[in-house]
Amino acid sequence: MEWSNEILTEIQEIAPLLGKSGPARNPYTLPVGFFENFPEILMLRICMDSAEGLEIGKKITDISSPQEIIEISPLLAGLQHKTTYQVPEGYFESMNTMISDSGMLYENASLTPEFAPVVQISSGKIANIYPELKDSGKNKVFNFSRVLKYSVAACVIALLGLTLFNLNHRSITDPINGLTTVSDQDMANYLDADDIHWTPGVSSTSETASVEFSDNDIHELFSNVSDDELEQYVPSLPLNKGSVN
Amino acid sequence: MAEQTTDTELLALYREPATREKAFTEIVKKYQQRLYWHIRRMLVDHEDSNDVLQNVFIRVWNALGGFREDAQLYTWLYRIATNECLTFIEQQKRKASVSLNELESGLSNKIKADKEFDANKLEWKLQLAIQQLPEKQRVVFMLRYYDEMPYEEMSRVLETSAGALKASYHHAAKKIEEFILNH
Repeated sequence: MEWSNEILTEIQEIAPLLGKSGPARNPYTLPVGFFENFPEILMLRICMDSAEGLEIGKKITDISSPQEIIEISPLLAGLQHKTTYQVPEGYFESMNTMISDSGMLYENASLTPEFAPVVQISSGKIANIYPELKDSGKNKVFNFSRVLKYSVAACVIALLGLTLFNLNHRSITDPINGLTTVSDQDMANYLDADDIHWTPGVSSTSETASVEFSDNDIHELFSNVSDDELEQYVPSLPLNKGSVN
Repeated sequence: MAEQTTDTELLALYREPATREKAFTEIVKKYQQRLYWHIRRMLVDHEDSNDVLQNVFIRVWNALGGFREDAQLYTWLYRIATNECLTFIEQQKRKASVSLNELESGLSNKIKADKEFDANKLEWKLQLAIQQLPEKQRVVFMLRYYDEMPYEEMSRVLETSAGALKASYHHAAKKIEEFILNH
């Protein structure tokens, strides 16, 4: 590449270093054959982008799928019908049996598109599409919006019921609530009769109850313990707890 | 179709439906290399340059029917290519949320990542120096230095006065020389 005199003179005046050895070589590289293939690739993209009747576009739209992949990549064309996945032996042969056994198909029912067209379920107007079903008493029309309303109502009722149940259940199982029905006299009689002494503490968490033993009970309990062992035990007790004879 | 077909002849062929595609293909063949290298020096990366070059010619395909011959075809093509480059750079900035300085350092990194890169060679230093320039100066320098475009033509491409372009080229060349001397 050579500069014209005008460019060379100009650059030598402005920046002598840049004009010393002519224009610098282009250091970038690009894929082999890029410019040879570029017009074809470009025309392919243009006809993909625009629906105009280009000759190349007609060629593309006329071509069949297998032929297309052969022209693009013979390697991929060879692999087109090969699959790496496996299915259990006899899977497809037993497919009909499995479906009929599962009860998905009804006797005499046909699954052709004419019999089962795609409809908007949310419209709830299936009865209008199948008037014969509407008239016959056997076949009920499935109305999605109505079912939805009933479902919501059922959920609300269930929620209310559950809330009430929980409230009632809590009041019965709470022991404090249960004692509200016992009179003070009954409570005092119960405590006296069973020799149970309840000593309220400083706080509710330290409240304790004790059982009173008779002398016979104590002798019976300590009959197997020698006097020496008891004497060894006594000094370890706190002083304010008293002593055992 | 002969290689020496002039732009005027090509445009006349393009207006005929029967020869439209062939004429356009000839225009692509005639200008693809000049436009590619103009774009490549701006964007550095080949894949980006290829995408932008395709976008340029798609725009040309869509707008060539309305092209008025009061400007030269190649001036018009350079204008589209330059605008596409600047739009691409703008999109890249927005996509990556980076500043212009970060983007320029990214382009410098791309240059350094080239397997042929040699920091001691003048041509690579020159490419690094070009990436340090502001966008407008970069375009002016490349159009003048590599494409030898007259200032009058360049003023049509960039919609800037010839005097301002001369000043811009002067500043750009000085900056580049300084960069090369210091690196």
